[in-house]
Amino acid sequence: MIPKSLQGVHEIPSEITSLVKESVINTFASIIGSEPSYVEQNGQSKSLNGVIGNIAVFNQQHTLSLMIVIPKETALKISEIFIGMEIPFESDDMGDLVGEISNILAGDVAASIETVGFRGQSSLPTATRGSDLTLFLPNKPPTEKLKFTGPSGDFWVNMALSESR
Amino acid sequence: MGKVKALVVDDSKIMRSAVKRALDQLMLADFEYVEAMDGQDALEKFNDEIEIMFVDWNMPNMTGVEFSRAIRDKGDTEHIPIIMVTAEKSMGKVDKALNEGGANEYITKPFTADNMHKTISRYFDDDGNIIGEESEEEEEKSFFSSILKS
Repeated sequence: MIPKSLQGVHEIPSEITSLVKESVINTFASIIGSEPSYVEQNGQSKSLNGVIGNIAVFNQQHTLSLMIVIPKETALKISEIFIGMEIPFESDDMGDLVGEISNILAGDVAASIETVGFRGQSSLPTATRGSDLTLFLPNKPPTEKLKFTGPSGDFWVNMALSESR
Repeated sequence: MGKVKALVVDDSKIMRSAVKRALDQLMLADFEYVEAMDGQDALEKFNDEIEIMFVDWNMPNMTGVEFSRAIRDKGDTEHIPIIMVTAEKSMGKVDKALNEGGANEYITKPFTADNMHKTISRYFDDDGNIIGEESEEEEEKSFFSSILKS
């Protein structure tokens, strides 16, 4: 379904975007106990004080990179629900938590995009914390920014589809 | 209640804590935990006293499936239940863990104490001791000894 060469492909195939949206909603519902909603207005212009989980689902042809962008307030609320107590934003545990959320999301994404022919495996997650962060996606499409909101606050999932090297 | 030594293998400290917390809530046994942060670390910490293992899949150095395979290849470990606790959800992955890896059960993250209970309670007797799966050799031995007794 995805052409081997992404030259001239400007958008992530809509089937993949829909499946990722669905995975994000299901994954966060299972983690925080209530479904977040997708917010049509995408993008995020202001700088971020928060934590970012990075993970990829890849095979020999393609790599779908996922960047889960969680503002500090949302991260603290999620930790309270998922762990049963608020963990300090500055602690290693916060990076561990966001890495694990990324891992769970990638597991769900990998299983769901298999249904449209993208059979891949998850990379190991990494997490980055910081303040006044400006996020860039690669200049070359295809990329997509998805915004979600829920009882724990807002968060974003940015994704990029590239050829595996 | 019987004391059971459990090996919990996950590169996430938070998930190791979540597994331990769920097991403590279940009150199936009085668990004593050995923690490992990847398959390699788990192989080093594995010993004859380990009675049940909870193993993540996606870890650096050695994956959970590679670790499970290595444990089964040691021989005489079929009686130790290996529970894969992982974010991997596709049927192909489940199949790989159970068949190639030799795991007994598969739980996807995030899990609840309830689905942990449904998956592992059959491995415990009422006194909180592990009921291990018999190896083929042991099954054969007990089959013949039951014939001899009768």
